[in-house]
Amino acid sequence: MSGILLELKDICKSYRDGSEERVILDGVSLAVGKGEFAAIVGPSGSGKSTFLSVAGLLLTPDSGSVLIGGKDVTGASKGERTMIRRRQLGFIFQSHNLLPYLKTADQLAIVQEKPMREKVSVDELLSELDIADCRDKFPAKMSGGEKQRAAIARAFVNDPDVILADEPTASLDAQRGRLAVEMIRNEVKKRNKAAVMVTHDNRVLDLVDSVYRIDGGKLLKERFE
Amino acid sequence: MKYAWKEILYGRKKYILIELLLILLMFMVLFLSGLASGLGRAVSSAIDTMNADSFIVDDSAEQLITVSSVGTQVLDELRSAGANAAPLDIQRMYIIKDGDDEKLNMTYFAIEAGSFIEPETIEGTGLAASSADNPILLDDDYKLEGISLGDKVRDSSTDIEFTVVGFVDDRMYGHTSVGYITTDSYTRLRKALNPMYVQSYHAIAVRGSADYDFAGNGLELVSKHEIIENIPSYSAEHLTITMIVWVLVIISAVIIGIFNYILTLQKQKQFGVMKAVGMRNSELAGMVISEVLIISVFAAAVSLVLTFAMAAAIPEKMPFYLEAPDAVAVTAAFVAISVPSSMLSVVNISRIDPVKAIGGGEE
Repeated sequence: MSGILLELKDICKSYRDGSEERVILDGVSLAVGKGEFAAIVGPSGSGKSTFLSVAGLLLTPDSGSVLIGGKDVTGASKGERTMIRRRQLGFIFQSHNLLPYLKTADQLAIVQEKPMREKVSVDELLSELDIADCRDKFPAKMSGGEKQRAAIARAFVNDPDVILADEPTASLDAQRGRLAVEMIRNEVKKRNKAAVMVTHDNRVLDLVDSVYRIDGGKLLKERFE
Repeated sequence: MKYAWKEILYGRKKYILIELLLILLMFMVLFLSGLASGLGRAVSSAIDTMNADSFIVDDSAEQLITVSSVGTQVLDELRSAGANAAPLDIQRMYIIKDGDDEKLNMTYFAIEAGSFIEPETIEGTGLAASSADNPILLDDDYKLEGISLGDKVRDSSTDIEFTVVGFVDDRMYGHTSVGYITTDSYTRLRKALNPMYVQSYHAIAVRGSADYDFAGNGLELVSKHEIIENIPSYSAEHLTITMIVWVLVIISAVIIGIFNYILTLQKQKQFGVMKAVGMRNSELAGMVISEVLIISVFAAAVSLVLTFAMAAAIPEKMPFYLEAPDAVAVTAAFVAISVPSSMLSVVNISRIDPVKAIGGGEE
């Protein structure tokens, strides 16, 4: 398949919990192509976060391989994984996780790699996300929705291949949560990224292209358009 | 650096408090350092400012001029060999101001009138230019005792009378102010005390090099620096205060390190997120170190200004003497030590696992 930006093959991951071994991911595979927005749903404790951490190169799987932008990065060193996270992955977290002491424009500038300054305009991103007026505001002066949108803008600032969103609606009310997911969708489509969102919010699933359910360590495709 | 500065500006309330603490500490350090060199100068300034490089003393004197004895022929032999040499006697006595009966401490420096170790006067004439029988140049501290140019002062044990012909500044030895008299006056003084006195010198000051068989004649050539170190009480006082100064410098720098470490502990989640989005350890370490540098440079600069302002307002008699190079050395050391003291934070950051940024961590 061409155009696959994120691919996980046969990922297994288990934790040692006291004396017993808990299998969290048991041979999970997933492929997300350009312009595709995938959602992963499942009860809490089902391994959604572990899955996202493996895809985000924050955890190494016990077996299986991770390909980003068509390249196998399973065996990458710690430093290489940091570089890949910076350049090829964009993270959106449960809460905005902005730095309290930086204005929005600086939040983006601090993670933007120098060569990207030409390619991705911070101001353009902010106006696409409708927070151009927050450019010179500290997070403390912004609403929850504005903060989450600033965090979304931050995820796109290095023109990554893959966007990973961890419950992006968790800290927002239904209306604002939906707006945030809409904005992620618009950017993913416009910039032709692959995106994976972990969520338990069924009300936003109509905005994504494919839905996977994770349960008992297995990943099942639930819907695909 | 830019982001560290923004962080400090944003959290200025808490940073101002730590700055205040550091400024007070550094001010104390600089002030003590000034007192240390002030006290040191009260012991040694007459030697320190003397226009000589080394001194000849006898080898049993343990490098202490006041207990040394050098025969007069040594001076003659040195001079005929072309060396730049001048005799020096140092004697602690008391003087009494004419028409008064209060004894004043005085250390006589007996020198040859017009020799290269005679200090420049800030008022009056030199010893050679005077026609008085027993001329004396006084440290200007004696002005505070009401002595002025042309006054007569009396040696308390011999009643020999000296005429004040000039004043010099900043000449002290062993915590007493110095009076410069001629070698001739000194010989007269000694003969009055002991008619059997045979002239010899305590030491011979040398400028440049001197070619002489010192060891063969029971003598040694000692550098000015060593002579000062061996003045009684100089090392003891100087070392103690210097040690306090450096311990305080280190404590101040460590306080920055601890403060920074506490801030780092509070920001574990922030650092975890920054690492998750791909910021390198080196970038985060750079932010922490620049923050420490900004704090320490600011504290150093403010305390320097405060100290010099204070020094200008301090009473003349207080032994405070701070030279800019010393003050800068102390503050530069403080800034330099603050950087390794922030390593604790850097190590802590490098150990933060970015996976904590996702969900609740492990499920």
